[in-house]
Amino acid sequence: MAISAVARETVFALRRQIAKIEGTLPERLQAPAGAPLDADASPDLTIVRRGLAAALPDAFLPVGVDPLDAALSGGLPKAALSEIHGLETRDAGAVAGFALSLASLILKQAQGLPVLWIGTAEIFREAGFPYARGLQASFGIEPEQLLFSEAPKLVDALWVAEEAARMTALAAVILEIRGNPQRLDLTATRRLHARAQSAGRPVFLLRQAAEPEPTAAPVRLIVSPAPAVPRETVAGPLAGSIGRPAFTISIGKSRTALPGQFTLEWNPDERVFDERRGEEGRAKNPVPVVSLSGGRKDPAAASGAVLAFPAPRSSDAISSATGDQPPPGQRAAHLSPRRAG
Amino acid sequence: MISHRQGNAQRISALDERAEALHLKRDMGIADARAMHPSIDIVEADPEADRRLLEGLADWCDRYTPLVALDGADGLFLDVTGCTHLFGGERAMLDDILSRFLHQGFDVRAGLAPTPGAAWAAARFCGDRIVDGGEEEALLAPLPLAALRIAPETRASLESVGLRTAGAVMAAPRAPLARRFGATLLLRLDQALGRLDEAVSPRLPVAPLSVERHLAEPVTLTEDIERLVGLLATTLKTDLERRGEGARTLALLLFRVDGAVSRIALGTSRPMRDPRLIQKLFHERLAALEQDIDAGYGFDLVRLSVLAAAAFDMAQADLTGEVTDDGADIALFADRIRARLGEGAVLQPVAVESHLPERAVAIVPFSEAPRRTTPPKRQDRVQAPKTIFPPERPIRLFRAPEPIEVPATEMPEGPPLHFRWRRALYRVTRAEGPERIAAEWWRQAPGDAAASTRDYFRIEDAEGRRYWLYRQGLYGGSQSAPRWFMHGVFA
Repeated sequence: MAISAVARETVFALRRQIAKIEGTLPERLQAPAGAPLDADASPDLTIVRRGLAAALPDAFLPVGVDPLDAALSGGLPKAALSEIHGLETRDAGAVAGFALSLASLILKQAQGLPVLWIGTAEIFREAGFPYARGLQASFGIEPEQLLFSEAPKLVDALWVAEEAARMTALAAVILEIRGNPQRLDLTATRRLHARAQSAGRPVFLLRQAAEPEPTAAPVRLIVSPAPAVPRETVAGPLAGSIGRPAFTISIGKSRTALPGQFTLEWNPDERVFDERRGEEGRAKNPVPVVSLSGGRKDPAAASGAVLAFPAPRSSDAISSATGDQPPPGQRAAHLSPRRAG
Repeated sequence: MISHRQGNAQRISALDERAEALHLKRDMGIADARAMHPSIDIVEADPEADRRLLEGLADWCDRYTPLVALDGADGLFLDVTGCTHLFGGERAMLDDILSRFLHQGFDVRAGLAPTPGAAWAAARFCGDRIVDGGEEEALLAPLPLAALRIAPETRASLESVGLRTAGAVMAAPRAPLARRFGATLLLRLDQALGRLDEAVSPRLPVAPLSVERHLAEPVTLTEDIERLVGLLATTLKTDLERRGEGARTLALLLFRVDGAVSRIALGTSRPMRDPRLIQKLFHERLAALEQDIDAGYGFDLVRLSVLAAAAFDMAQADLTGEVTDDGADIALFADRIRARLGEGAVLQPVAVESHLPERAVAIVPFSEAPRRTTPPKRQDRVQAPKTIFPPERPIRLFRAPEPIEVPATEMPEGPPLHFRWRRALYRVTRAEGPERIAAEWWRQAPGDAAASTRDYFRIEDAEGRRYWLYRQGLYGGSQSAPRWFMHGVFA
């Protein structure tokens, strides 16, 4: 047994080496299915790139919905920058709601630490200022646990975010930016990501009405609102009522996940996510849920043709972030034009 | 030559030596002066600018003593009690003041005396004189009545009875003087002679602690200033430790060689005495003010003052020597952000007892101590019953409710079917409500138009976005049609 354990160790070390040379190590290397497993071997055979911090067992924040967690290989990385996109400014409620649900999940573990929400004056004017009463009711975040920072300019917001991202005394940092400003480029996200990694705290970058850009964040999720199911009563669903908040999440970028879409429901009482149940709940819903399947036709066609991904990667601007290219099936969703909302 | 308007005539208010040489005098009419010398150059007086200049000089005089007061339009009082030894004695200090002012281009007269009144007289009527204690009478006796700081009317009436010098007034019996010329005359006299105390009210409150460094070679670089702040803060630390306090408000005064003074103040969330942290805060502040501070020829005096201090609690470190205090990290973080971006850069919400949504949360600048906006709850007071189902509140609220167009509602009191917000049309698929929220009548002036009630609806549009709308006013109730507003968004 001891020999096989040593052999397995060697195999993994070699694999790690190979992957390092190749430079494109996937987040996890599964042990071969047929490999003999020792009784004393840990069941977690995940090897994660970038240092030990990410390889710790609680490196991921499980969303709590199995298919999404599986797609993200365990959840959102805890010590990292995560981008959460909204297609239009008027989706700001859903985007902020999803980020706050994640913050609420984090606060369940990190009791007492505050959450800092940084935004530019522009986004707070356009999308509304966070309302502490609503956050308390919907996400269980007490007003004392909230800190806001409103920066007049994007540069200042980024500076505040960088300073905040390195703090271990904050449970999470939310940075909200509108549009695709030049300042928020690959370098800026890389700086944020590096600080979040060293502090071991998540930074959620909310980007309202933004196009996907090369980013250092390992995960990019695109959030759009989903119609809520009616409220449940003792006598069944209450027709015409608006129940728990629901979000449609699509994975825009992830090193491990395939593109996919998930409809989640936030349960404010338990402070957990539920996956939207099957069709029987939806049949009574007077509003048809918009199909967001990967191969759908865009409601508003983007200008220009959507081309298939060229097989050999051309050395265009995006190639600087090789791993950041959204998969081909995903592109159509991002190319819908922005509307002023 | 500078003119000012007095009554209906332009008169000379100030003039230089060359004008004086032409036999022109103050308070002479401009027309007369022009008639005598048509080529004189006359500038309109600007009392505001004079005032600013005097205040600038007062700031600069802060380097000698923290107690500087303005005196009328053209004088400064410096209370140098206990400060003279720092400059090598009274004479050396006076010479230093005069020579520095001369180099800055000011013609200054100074006097130093045990009482403000005597110093005033010495500066204006003797020039560069130091009066020791007990000499006030000898100083004042030969001086004209103007040296007593009395009103011109009193002076004129005193002169009319033959009292032309201060000595003559001092020699005269007091009771008739008081009866005839009022108490002010004797008050001024007693103050000048030191029989009565006269308080000089300083312009700025005196800092409880200050440390400063005179520099032989003026500094211009921000890095040098930061390093000096670190050195000064180290000195300050011992003083703060002795008093068991930490700084809450700090001010950095930079005295430029040519007299301009930059004053940089910053506040801290919790009492602070660590020089490293103080230096860090000023680093941020100086970085933010980089454009505003003009070093010019450099600063030759740097002073760090503690304007407000509070009791400092020592934190007990554990055996590894590490103090784990997350609050300190956040306080320092907030201080740094605020030092750079201003007081409102880090905010925190505070719940307020109000049912109006926009008043229910107050956004205040971050501070360590929890603020109470409501009186502390007493057990014997009747508590409002808590509802099991709290009302739904949005997660984002617009600063000002945005007007929306509602063409039609199903029922007069019901939710809208469509609405137009920010030029886009929305179709309402589901709605919950109304939740009626009345204005707070106890906060409104009688007859205020904004007193109408609001009916709030929770709306979901065709794409699943959830909004919080309200209708202000009622249909048919008042003469004007009710208006609709968008107030917030839900998750």
